[in-house]
Amino acid sequence: MTDERGIPRREFLKSAVAIGGAAAFSACLGREDVDVPTGPDDLSSYPQRQHAWNEALPRDDHGNVVAPSHRVLLYLNYRRDGPPNEDDRDQVETALRGIEHAYERSGGGLLLTVSYSPAYFDRFDESLPEDVDLPDPEALAPFEDPEFDTPDAVVHLASNTAQVVLGAEEALKGNKSTLNGVDQPDATLTDVFSIADRRTGFIGDGLPAENADDAEGVPADKVPEDAPLFMGFKSGFKKNQASEDRVTIQSGPFAGGTTQHISKLQLNLNQWYNQDDRWQREAKMFCPYHAENDVIEGAGDNLGTSSKIDDCQPTDETAREMGVVGHSQKSARARDDDDSPLILRRDFDSTDGETASLHFLALQRRITDFVDTREAMNGTDVTEQSAVGQRNNNGILQYIRTERRGNFLVPPRSLRSLPPARPVENAQEVTHESS
Amino acid sequence: MNRRTFLKQGTALSGGLVLSGCLGRLGFETQSAWRDPPIVEDRPDAVYYPAIIEGMGMYGTTTAGSLGFALMHSFPHRFWNLTGSRKTKVVVQSDDSVHLMASVWDTETETILPVDVSVEISNSDGRVSSTNLWPMISPNMGFHYGDNIALPGEGQYDVTLQVGPLQTARTSPFNGRFTEGQSATMQFTFDTDETYNLEIRRLGDKAGTRGTVDLMDMEMIPEPVVPTKSELPGRLLHEGQSGDATMLVALVDGDHRFSDTEGPFLIVSPRTPYNRVMLPRMALSATLDRGGDTITQGTLQASLDPDLGSFYGMGIDELKTGDTVRITVETPPQLARHDGYETAFLDMDPIEFTAE
Repeated sequence: MTDERGIPRREFLKSAVAIGGAAAFSACLGREDVDVPTGPDDLSSYPQRQHAWNEALPRDDHGNVVAPSHRVLLYLNYRRDGPPNEDDRDQVETALRGIEHAYERSGGGLLLTVSYSPAYFDRFDESLPEDVDLPDPEALAPFEDPEFDTPDAVVHLASNTAQVVLGAEEALKGNKSTLNGVDQPDATLTDVFSIADRRTGFIGDGLPAENADDAEGVPADKVPEDAPLFMGFKSGFKKNQASEDRVTIQSGPFAGGTTQHISKLQLNLNQWYNQDDRWQREAKMFCPYHAENDVIEGAGDNLGTSSKIDDCQPTDETAREMGVVGHSQKSARARDDDDSPLILRRDFDSTDGETASLHFLALQRRITDFVDTREAMNGTDVTEQSAVGQRNNNGILQYIRTERRGNFLVPPRSLRSLPPARPVENAQEVTHESS
Repeated sequence: MNRRTFLKQGTALSGGLVLSGCLGRLGFETQSAWRDPPIVEDRPDAVYYPAIIEGMGMYGTTTAGSLGFALMHSFPHRFWNLTGSRKTKVVVQSDDSVHLMASVWDTETETILPVDVSVEISNSDGRVSSTNLWPMISPNMGFHYGDNIALPGEGQYDVTLQVGPLQTARTSPFNGRFTEGQSATMQFTFDTDETYNLEIRRLGDKAGTRGTVDLMDMEMIPEPVVPTKSELPGRLLHEGQSGDATMLVALVDGDHRFSDTEGPFLIVSPRTPYNRVMLPRMALSATLDRGGDTITQGTLQASLDPDLGSFYGMGIDELKTGDTVRITVETPPQLARHDGYETAFLDMDPIEFTAE
């Protein structure tokens, strides 16, 4: 991991996140010439919604939120059987506050959420309140056979600065006595949790092309140099995303929280780039209308704030007449009465396991909202009435393989450290007003 | 040096060297005969004899529940991918090792099932490849699933074949069948001597002329064919041609297995010329005109029947002598095509006839 290998600076940074560890972090410090502001001493002004990232993130020229580039997901198992005790809660909260003091809450600084699985809540005698829809994960298509993620918790670390996610992770593991010049507490996350899995990734213009060499089966020079995702197109358009309000739990003790679905999707970029042409990729990702009318330039930045699905014909018509339906075209059918999408995508690409994949992380008020969106994406109704296959010419289903699925509750900030299943409402003021 | 490093270094060299280098490392020589076989000039817009016919080898068959699975291999193939009427030529990539093929059928009735197949391949080092195979049609195999796959080398592999439920309708003998996914596990040994020495038949002067070779005789797998004209149920109304596909139209009446409701039921059974290979994955509709007025118009539902195989059908109120029946192909068969089929079944005109 030295300069002798001649790795360009930026390429090194993304590899560093995938590799992780203290050495990668120190190497990043030297490579990334940035000065990340520290967080405040008093964290009481931080939003109750852990997932309120949009206000902290930059926007592109069209006003779309630009997703943070570097990500780490730490899958954690609580070391203690049965309900958690207050000491462990304090330990977790103290460790989390340690990294929040070290880095400001911003795109260039640190954004994080802590979430808990149905398996975690099984340790309580009480069940979750009715306001929380958090079923065990299940297969969401008749042709998929995923493994289910059942660790107790997931910490999601995100930043536009690679060293921030790495540094935060190292500090949570107790490997840093100071971070960004800020003393770190003795309390660590790993005293309370064991790490069950570590997933990493990236999203942003150019990053997939730069990372292509790290994964098997990515066709050389086929991922466009400016594309933010492996499949070559932009996503997360403002009008195709649910708002943070839309995904926030509205009532009960977990009001202000949200639910999170994380799937790991393996991508078949050989078929996508070597066996399909640009027309097919546009038709399958967006809709045939876009492909026929050259609506999309490059990665699709010219689309502005939406994938312009209103211009596409209804799915059943294009399925019968064109033999193909687009991914966005199908997914856009999952909307509420106010015409809002149901999910807020915070997904990112990955080369974990040397495989090109997508960690599809989505936030929604209820897991059911995700299930409905995925059902729309399956397009089973379309396949029954047309020549569109279960996967073939059915959006991007041909090219993705669901490997893992997991459901999690992202509680409000005041309950982020080992929450009970039935918190006392207004417990927010009880602990850690400041530290 | 691991394989990736090797390939990366190869990229810096010229294309030809990379190719022979990769192949040489796997222990075999460049097989230009199949890696980029000639395409016949002046191909008809119809089924034709290609320049070469690729041999096929059987890795084995297995059953899971009431489904039969077969896994077959050949050298990597060129094929054409189809979206609507738009085809994309898929050329063999330098790291493609094998053309892997699969077929799935109902063991009780020996009916070939048009259900998408995914494969996951692993060896003692872990997973090496996974892909969703394309539905395909080729002269000597007929309808099957397949794709070109890159393997890290020769040796033994475990493969899991997975299918989802049948997406089409089904007739009453199949009620409640094929409603859930199923998977089967098999093993195969990739041996370049075996795969790359499969027969390549050159068709010489025949190449480019209309016609095709016989389907291979595969005793372990039901043939992917539909019944002869005389085996069709009911009354044969018409034998038409569209895009070189043969379209048989029949009418059954009374109490029958094709619909929950009694009464006349229109059956369209498309098939390839010469070999009667099934043509699933089409979108068809029918219009019935009587005395200048359209009296019925609707979708012919893709369906599966143990005797008819893949067919398209629709219930109608009544068919009278003198009625005009028009069958429209909204989407041609969405199957990837091997040489010999890539110019057929694309531009498909409606067929029209008068009921007698």
